[in-house]
Amino acid sequence: MRWTTPAAVVVAAAITWWSASEDFGIGLSLEEIASNFTRARPIIQEFLDPQWSYWPAIVDPFMETVKMAIVAAVIGCGIALAAGFLASKVTSPNTVTYLADKGVLSVLRSIPDVLYALVFVAAVGIGPLAGIMAMVFFNIGIVAKLLSETVDAVDLGPIEAARATGGSRFAAVRTAVFPQVLPNYLAYSLYVFELNLRASAVIGIVGAGGIGQLINIERTAFRYDRLAVIIVAIFVIVFVVESVSIAVRRRLV
Amino acid sequence: MTTTKAPGADVRRQPGARPRKPRRYGAWLLNGAIIVAFFWAIGSLEDLGLADLIGAPAKMWDIFGLMFSPPDWSYFPTAMEGMVESLQIAWIGTMIAAAASLPMGFLAAKNVTARVGSTVTRQVLNAIRSVPELILAIVFIPIVGLGAVAGALAIGVHSIGTLGKLSAEAIEGIDTGPVEAARATGASQAGVMRWGVLPQVLPEIVAFWLYRFEVNIRAAAILGIVGAGGVGSVLQNTISFRRWDKAGMTILVVIVVTVLVDATSSAIRRRLIRGSTAATASDPTTEVVA
Amino acid sequence: MISFQHATVTYPGGVHALRDITLDVPAGQLIVVVGLSGAGKSTLIRAINGLVPLTDGQVLVDGVSVSGASRRELRDLRAGVGMIFQNFNLTKRTSVLNNVLMGRMHYTPWWRVMTGVYRSADREIAMQALERVEIVDKAYVRASNLSGGQQQRVGIARALAQQPKVLLADEPVASLDPPTSHVVMRDLQRINRDLGITTLVNLHFLDLARRYGERIIGLRAGRIVFDGKGEDCDERVFRDIYGRSLTADDVLEARPQL
Ligand SMILES: Nc1ncnc2c1ncn2[C@@H]1O[C@H](COP(=O)(O)OP(=O)(O)O)[C@@H](O)[C@H]1O
Ligand SMILES: [Mg+2]
Repeated sequence: MRWTTPAAVVVAAAITWWSASEDFGIGLSLEEIASNFTRARPIIQEFLDPQWSYWPAIVDPFMETVKMAIVAAVIGCGIALAAGFLASKVTSPNTVTYLADKGVLSVLRSIPDVLYALVFVAAVGIGPLAGIMAMVFFNIGIVAKLLSETVDAVDLGPIEAARATGGSRFAAVRTAVFPQVLPNYLAYSLYVFELNLRASAVIGIVGAGGIGQLINIERTAFRYDRLAVIIVAIFVIVFVVESVSIAVRRRLV
Repeated sequence: MTTTKAPGADVRRQPGARPRKPRRYGAWLLNGAIIVAFFWAIGSLEDLGLADLIGAPAKMWDIFGLMFSPPDWSYFPTAMEGMVESLQIAWIGTMIAAAASLPMGFLAAKNVTARVGSTVTRQVLNAIRSVPELILAIVFIPIVGLGAVAGALAIGVHSIGTLGKLSAEAIEGIDTGPVEAARATGASQAGVMRWGVLPQVLPEIVAFWLYRFEVNIRAAAILGIVGAGGVGSVLQNTISFRRWDKAGMTILVVIVVTVLVDATSSAIRRRLIRGSTAATASDPTTEVVA
Repeated sequence: MISFQHATVTYPGGVHALRDITLDVPAGQLIVVVGLSGAGKSTLIRAINGLVPLTDGQVLVDGVSVSGASRRELRDLRAGVGMIFQNFNLTKRTSVLNNVLMGRMHYTPWWRVMTGVYRSADREIAMQALERVEIVDKAYVRASNLSGGQQQRVGIARALAQQPKVLLADEPVASLDPPTSHVVMRDLQRINRDLGITTLVNLHFLDLARRYGERIIGLRAGRIVFDGKGEDCDERVFRDIYGRSLTADDVLEARPQL
């Protein structure tokens, strides 16, 4: 281990240099950033002086965001309930189903939410439907994975008892496993609802409805004073919902 | 064995009457609220165009076919170039966040900083965390110009929140022995941190950095849609102009590279430390559920 | 009622848990199986309801071969065989009644199981089972809020709700204190006598076995080394079963005496 530490530092420094360099990387220059910040004074000033009177315009898009988040979370978590049980060795009927489900889920998770949104906007057009579909896929991947890991860790005793009464596999899952994982499942559902609010700001930028769509309009109009209002609003809502959600999740699990 | 009365014979219970079924409003309320909220949301969403759903599966299947049968291999260099830039953005962003979050972590740790200071720092970290990278990128672009630097700054700032919080938790979990030993030698507060605390927590914190790098690769892959560099702009252009075979190639590159870098990074993490959250948080897409 | 014919179980990995067991259990008997930990008691009991498959020989329950049964037939067979576990195996996060209703699952359509809306006749059976073990007042309490002894009585009620012909108990008192152990053992004895249910109980403690067992089976390394009445189970027999003399660990009550 001793000699590996300096080696790791050298490798990390080399990667950093390569990534930052003008010729091979992104061209990161601290002086340039500093001078840009000085030159961009008026813009920064605009950001720091939000047009508060703009706020009524953001109410409707925000409501749309909340509605999309609810619909997507309900559908996504519903599907994830089945997908999660099938992705745990404890409850999956056979190895083929188990492996197939796990594989599908990890592919689902490897695709960023915005990429889903881009594809669904191309498929069903601009608007909240594309956004909901994107969030549904995004939610399935996360909740099913977290749920399957929780199922992996359940007490196996009640399952044996359920099988011993002559119950089917489905009955055993429903009566012996589901009650054990329900609080966790609810916590995960709340968690992705919260993620959806945040994601909606982002996927709306590619045309998938909600507050993000408004961000895109003001962004392309260079209205930084209005963007500031939207950002503050997102910030407040996400912060509040997250605090509530964390408190509730603590109590649940 | 002595016969007569068995031990525990007097532990017999009262027969007891059947209890009434208690009303459990909580569960009904929760179910009801979810159902009502769901239908209210669907009913009141304007321009939802549910009719579009009917054709959607077939259309998705078509798109899927156009993307991958086969993808446009000649587009590989373009896609790869974008993806490499995304990796660089993620790396630089992570380095910025690492450098800034370490002191923030000490400031936010309850066993290092006084109550008021640590609570305030923690709230600041939470606040930073709740602004998505893409939004930060939108803020940085008019300031530093279009391109990868804006993306790296956005990722860097956003990651300070998570990394600062995780570092603070690692610092709070330390063994106090070495700290006292360092203090006993008459070291300054900074000396105690450097020699008593840092060596204990550094492996875990470095593992968190790597973990965050994995998360950031995903973020860096999409920043391009607002012009903050990386493969995102390639994705957006190919998809919105329906160049499906090129889009397929790009998506393939994004997924394969992400998975490969993830595998490498998480292997290093597991070596670095065993058994802590940083090592077991093996899947960056689910982040660490706080 | 139960008949083992050259029953053999070898676990993957090569452990011979049961070796050529031949045993007949007439209807209505209360049999206690004793033996050291690892002797094969749990395996013997699980061979009866097919939770552990035989590698050779066969087991008949009421004339039906366990290993020859299809999945459907095996579930029918299990429905007629109640089982009680050392660790109670209750679903702790749900109510006592829901746990006992598990015993009615086999007779309930899937959609009722899914929604948790059982027929009133099945709820009545579950309530009566709870009354038989005198814990009906806890019907709507969360299982996790009960003491060990209470949880085991719920476990017994769950088995009784199946209205079984056979009752299997795998070390039902191993997690309980001595007075509670007697209470639970006497519940089993009473159920056996009142309802005439054929009962097999695994026990680690010899004094409990002698007190409650009509018939005692001694198991050692997967073989039957004793089969007889409790009073015939003396120090010499004991040595056959345990391979050593009696110690304080082998009896429930503090003094090692038979
Ligand atoms: N699932 C299993 N896989 C492999 N070996 C097992 C398994 N279950 C039990 N065994 C082994 O079989 C033998 C008998 O076990 P068991 O029937 O549980 O004995 P007892 O209940 O008397 O303690 C032991 O040596 C045990 O280690
Ligand atoms: Mg056993």
